[in-house]
Amino acid sequence: MTGLPDDYLRYPLRRRGMDHDLYPFRVLPQARPVTWPGGARVALCCALHMGHFPMDMPLKPFIAPGGMERPYPSYWDYTLRDYGNRIGVYRLLKSLSARALPATALLSAVLAKRYPVLMDDLEAAGVEIVCGGLDMGHLHHSGVAEADERAIIQEATGLLRARFGQAVRGWHSPAHSESAHTQRMLAEAGFSYTSGWANDDMPYVVTTPAGQLIAMPLSQDLSDQRMLHQQHMATEEFTQAILAAHAVLDQEAQETGSGRILTIPITPWLMGHPHRMAAFNQMLDGILARGSLWPATMGEIATAWQSQNGAGA
Amino acid sequence: MLSEPGHYDYMPWRRRPRISWPNGARIAFWVAPNIEHYELDPPPNARRMPWTRPQPDVLGYSWRDYGNRVGFWRMADVMARHGVRGSVSLNVAVCDHYPEIIERCCALDWELFSHGTYNTRYFYGMTEDQQRAVIRENRETILRASGQSLDGWLTPAISNDETTQHLLAEEGIKYTLDMLHDDQPTPVNVRKGELISIPYSLEINDVPLLAMRNTPPERFAAICKAQFDHLYEEGAESGTVMCMPLHPFLIGQPHRIGALDDILRHVVRHDKVWLATGREIAAWYTEHHLAEAKAWIAAGTP
Repeated sequence: MTGLPDDYLRYPLRRRGMDHDLYPFRVLPQARPVTWPGGARVALCCALHMGHFPMDMPLKPFIAPGGMERPYPSYWDYTLRDYGNRIGVYRLLKSLSARALPATALLSAVLAKRYPVLMDDLEAAGVEIVCGGLDMGHLHHSGVAEADERAIIQEATGLLRARFGQAVRGWHSPAHSESAHTQRMLAEAGFSYTSGWANDDMPYVVTTPAGQLIAMPLSQDLSDQRMLHQQHMATEEFTQAILAAHAVLDQEAQETGSGRILTIPITPWLMGHPHRMAAFNQMLDGILARGSLWPATMGEIATAWQSQNGAGA
Repeated sequence: MLSEPGHYDYMPWRRRPRISWPNGARIAFWVAPNIEHYELDPPPNARRMPWTRPQPDVLGYSWRDYGNRVGFWRMADVMARHGVRGSVSLNVAVCDHYPEIIERCCALDWELFSHGTYNTRYFYGMTEDQQRAVIRENRETILRASGQSLDGWLTPAISNDETTQHLLAEEGIKYTLDMLHDDQPTPVNVRKGELISIPYSLEINDVPLLAMRNTPPERFAAICKAQFDHLYEEGAESGTVMCMPLHPFLIGQPHRIGALDDILRHVVRHDKVWLATGREIAAWYTEHHLAEAKAWIAAGTP
């Protein structure tokens, strides 16, 4: 047997810390304690995955979860995703505003062109706008030429800043997809925080050659997109899991004296259906009943964290 | 290609020589946390690509990274609270990348055994010399980082090749976890030296259950407790083994950690449980039961 090439047993990045230079290793018990406004134990961020899925989206090198899974032209997939931006999001925003809970929209930028009325309504509802890439058909990966990726980021950023101004300073790549260049390009484009890396419950700083970004927690494991759509789990299994996560984070905040963050990833084309709303509302009420909550946008949490951690924390 | 592993004999689940665990325990219960590092940019392997998305697959990578940054610490606290030690299935490069984790494992008196160097470097297609080189290097690293001898082995991603078990025995490994054929330790037939298999699990394992089979945490706990209850009952006749493999990036998530607490509370309140490590189970079986098992096999499993 000829075996594997010699370099299969060489490990040039086997060293203390990470096998890349984006951020240093940090363990949760050593994260610097933070205090939230009002001394709240848990900051609650409701993050709405407002993607637009083009019916002719590319299916390679991988499909964003929720992408066109049936043969073209899949009205099934397209229209059901579109439902989220027509109906679901309005239903969810009504639930959130009835409880005085702010929302952060991880928004496909093409929606600014497609549905200007929706933009007006998001603005009127005080929803924070985070750029969710151009649309769910424009994924970020190593097969995209650097210049093309930069153009995608510029187009997406331009669309949302033209409508909402420089307040758009957060980025979430569609389907948590990134190339090796994405973080640097986002720093170049003037973003201050991202939420693509699902590796922590607390923010941390990412350093790129073009500047620093704050990595904000956003789970894909504990998300309605994964649990309801990919894993075919029941609505109540998702809402119970969120309540269980909140209980653990709330207890950790009590024990450590440091605030924690619960980000709930909510996908309007999934959660915004009538049959799910009762469970969704009960989940929110269950969290609110436990008290000591700071409902905030992702940007507000990033700012509060940064003010106590400075650069390089 | 082989039509079967060829490493074990048929041993029917009746009239086996009785296994007695220390202090009259019915069941040896052991927890095997897989503490891993998946590289951001690993080299390709012809039989398996490390990531499903083009590299860097930041979603896959960051999910695993969660285990070392956050999940491990939660998991270790819960285990310590119940007095349950871990036997770590360790990608040994973690000793270099994250010594904080090794320090905590050693402070808790956990065993370290090898799960290869990285979970993104498979044994598929390695020559015997290449496999030996990895095993030897892993032994040195574990000794340097913890002072422990390397006694156990689980090939990274269970990517063993045809001859891996033979090489483990020749390199002085005492127990392997690459095979799932039994609920008790068994002899492993190798060309030279001695090796036993002790039960690992892909049934009671958070990857298949939580990530692949869509099991809610409460159901996961119920499955693990049912597994324990039945093996505890059968253990009155002859000692059984239950392994609970864990992955901190899954079990250490805030919505799941309560399930581990629930399972361990259930286990430790039974009095005929041996809370063991892999090394302890292997040593006890080898000393007290291996010869009898071989004789029973030689006699045609009467």
